[in-house]
Order: sequence, then structure tokens, then C-alpha cells
Amino acid sequence: MTSAALQAPLRERATGSRRYRQILWLLTSRDLRVRYSTSALGYVWSILDPLVMAGIYWFVFTQVFQRDVGEEPYIVFLLSALLPWMWFNGAVSDSTRAFLREAKLVRSTKIPRTIWVNRLVLSKGIEFLFSIPVIAAFAIFGGATLTGWIVLLPLAIVLQAVLTAGVGLIVAPLVVFFRDLERAVKLTLRFLFYASPIIYSARDLPEGLHFWAAFNPLSGLFSLYRASFFESELDWFLVGISAVMSVLLLAVGLAVFARTERAVLKEI
Amino acid sequence: MTSEVSTTAETAAAVAGPVIEVRDAGIRFRRNRRGRRSFKDLFAGRRRRLRPDEFWALRNVSFAVQPGEAIGVVGRNGQGKSTLLKLVAEVVLADEGTVSVRAGVAPLIEITGGFVDDLSVRDNVYLTAGLHGMSRREVDERFAEIIEFAEIGAFLDTPYKHLSSGMKVRLAFSVISRLEEPILLVDEVLAVGDRGFREKCYARIQELLDGGRTLFFVSHSERDLRRFCTRGLYLDRGRLVLDAPIDEVLARYAADTGH
Repeated sequence: MTSAALQAPLRERATGSRRYRQILWLLTSRDLRVRYSTSALGYVWSILDPLVMAGIYWFVFTQVFQRDVGEEPYIVFLLSALLPWMWFNGAVSDSTRAFLREAKLVRSTKIPRTIWVNRLVLSKGIEFLFSIPVIAAFAIFGGATLTGWIVLLPLAIVLQAVLTAGVGLIVAPLVVFFRDLERAVKLTLRFLFYASPIIYSARDLPEGLHFWAAFNPLSGLFSLYRASFFESELDWFLVGISAVMSVLLLAVGLAVFARTERAVLKEI
Repeated sequence: MTSEVSTTAETAAAVAGPVIEVRDAGIRFRRNRRGRRSFKDLFAGRRRRLRPDEFWALRNVSFAVQPGEAIGVVGRNGQGKSTLLKLVAEVVLADEGTVSVRAGVAPLIEITGGFVDDLSVRDNVYLTAGLHGMSRREVDERFAEIIEFAEIGAFLDTPYKHLSSGMKVRLAFSVISRLEEPILLVDEVLAVGDRGFREKCYARIQELLDGGRTLFFVSHSERDLRRFCTRGLYLDRGRLVLDAPIDEVLARYAADTGH
């Protein structure tokens, strides 16, 4: 080691949003790398879960019951909401442990704390993107055709990122103080799975419930995703309410996070 | 609070004035971790009054550090030394007052915290250095140096979890001390590791000091404090009792503790 190297002028370090993105990406790629380097099946696991789920629902609703919900082909209808659901579900349930699992790292670096939530949204989002070929394959073999509304796909992804980050920012700091919340969140997610139009369509709901279902931001979100294959699923009323709800949740999330950050850092 | 600002040596020199400025800083903790907590407390903000189960770990602490100074923090256990270091590292936030750190910080606190058990030594070096702000290219340039200093060349592709605890600390010190940040924070991490490596760490710290870095050092070892530091901060019961040249501070500390 030479002391000349030590005397060298200090370099400009990335600051602000560039540094934020750099670290976000670093942690996200670490997540993905850990997941894929410690399991033999790697990528397969991230699509196997939705595939098995979809297989079960497909069997129950098309082979066992005489189904009168959803659209044809049912498997494509199912997956077009189930895959985004996996993203939402995975990121929100992981965010209950966002601080606890990385406590040592949070305690030793001063990187902007929202990264601990946003990296979960990003890494689950990337897994979602990786799973899109699965639905494409089923669409091709099942004979589903794309509609022009596929142009709305990026909007759906942005909307979901906003919604998921908002919920995560609320859940992550509060779990640090109220550990019971971890189980409450898991339970709520399970409830939400059936309360959201995943195995059925929002149009299958009884007339009286339709209005109230709109306040579940997932209703509008899934309507947006499904419009790529099923034009009749697009419901601008649902989408509008969903967008407003998502932005609101993000605002609340940021406020909760900013308010509790100081206490979180002491607690972990 | 200027937490995101990091500057080059030139601009740091050009902007005259302290690199660290702590003004009336205070932070309180709960005495009992299992105590009840309500939503109301959580959202009450900075200005609420002290609850009965809370205490001030530090209060009314003010000082400023000029670039290139070497500061030793002295005090008995539990008097707020490590908390002060964490405030300066900005890994905890003050409840009162302000802590401004106007240059990048290389924190040798919980140094093994950023390492991931399942990843190899190589991946871990890139990850940890990156989390502390180094770009990929910078790590590429320094990689050989880091590995050589940690004496860990034969284990580049070994998962981190299979390293011995001594190797882990060596690797962590090697990465953090190579960050080239203007401020170096050292907690008593160096108590671990064998004597040979400790000496190597001290030589490295001395080199960084000679290169104009600012040092913030917490230790119980009078010898180490005298060796590196010129100025001392003496903390007692969460207050800054004395801010003076290190010899004076050590003398006062010795008198108080009866050594």
C-alpha cells in the first residue's frame, strides 16, 4: 500500500437522487442474487407459486364447479390478476420485516430509510416482470388475443408501484412498535385476496357492492391489467378511484414514515 | 440537517468552518423496551415532554469539529459515548437540537453489519462499499488493496458465513477504511482481532490522519487516545462535561474515576 494513493484527491460521490437510485438498485440486485444463488431452481420458484395457485383455481372453477364468473380462457383471466397480486402480496408481507430483518444494516448506514421499503417493491416488481412470459405462453396456447388496451400496461405498473410503496411505508415502521401487526397484516392480505376481483371479475359482484368495491384500490388496478386481454373488464370508474386511493395511500405512507423514522431508528 | 452532502477535499477546504457541528443536541431513549407504547406517543413529534419511563441519553451537547482534527471521546460506560458517535454517523436522529455533518463519513461502527452470509467475499466487498457510496469502478480499482489488507486472498469465492470471526472483522475494517471519506468514526471495534492486525489497523488510521482526515474516536484505552487524538470530549451522564486538549481531559477523567 502506498501513501501516495491515500493522498490522492477525494472523489466526488454521487449525491441526492442518483445515490438513492444507485443504492436501491444495489440492494435489489442483492436480493435477487441471494435468492437465485441459494436455490437450485432459482427463477422457477418465482413462477411456480403463481402457477400452482392458478392450477388449483382453474381446476376448482372450471372442472369441479359450473363456473359463471370471469372470461374465457379462464386461466388467462386468472393469471392476469393473480400475477400482479403476487407482487402486491409479496412486497406488503415482506415489508412487515423490512427493518427487523436488516436491523444491523439499518443501524450501520445512513442511507435514506425509505429505501428499505422501496427495494422490496422493486425486487418483487422485477419478479413480476419476469413472470409475464408465463401469461404470454398461456395466452398463446389458450387462444386469448391482445386488445389495444395493452398500452395501459405501463400505467398499471406505475399505479401498482405507487400503491404498494404507500402500503409498505405505512406497515414497515408500525410493525417495529406493534409486533402483532405482522400477523394482522398477513390475515388482512388473505382476506383481501378473496375481497379483490382475482378469481372473479368486478362485474360479477352484486349490484349493491359494486360501488363499495371501487374503494379497494386493487379492483381498479386489476381491471386495468385485464383490459390487455378482455376489453369488457376495463372500468374507468374503478380505475379512477383506484388511482386516487393509491396516491392518497402513498401520501399517508410518506407522512407516517417521516413521523416515525426517529423512533424506529432508536427501537431496532 | 445536511445529511446528503458529501464534498471533495478541495471544496471542504474551500468552505472554511467546521465539518461537524453539533448544537444543543439531545436524544432520549426508553428505559424499558417492553413498556407500553401508544399511537399517540409515536406521532406526537419532537416537542412532546419526557415520559416517566424515558431518559435523556445525551442532552445540551454542543461542539464543532474543524477539518483534520482528531477527537477522542472519553467517559464511563453508559454515559452516551456510542450514542454521540451514532448521532454523528447519522444512524440515529436527535430529538432536540441539530447535528450537521458537512462531509462524507466512514463509520467503523457495527462494521460487519452490511455483510450478507450467503454471498461470497467478492460480492460482499462490492455490496458494502456500494452501500457506503463507492461506485463500481472505484471498487474495481481498490479491490486488490482491500483484499491484500484483509489478508483474505485465498477466500474470494467463499461464502461470507464460512469465514472465521477474525477474518470477518478484518474484511470489514479493510473495506470501510478504504472509503476515502473525509471523516472517520471509530468505535471500540478494534478490541477484536489479534494483536498483529490491530497494530495494522492503527497504522492505517494513522495514515488516514496524516492524509488530513478528521477522526472521531471512542475508546477506553488511554494509550490509544493519546496516540491519535489532540482534543478530548468528556461525557458524563449524558452531558458534555469538558471539551479540552486530550491530556487535560484524560487527567480530569482519571481524577473523577479515581485511577
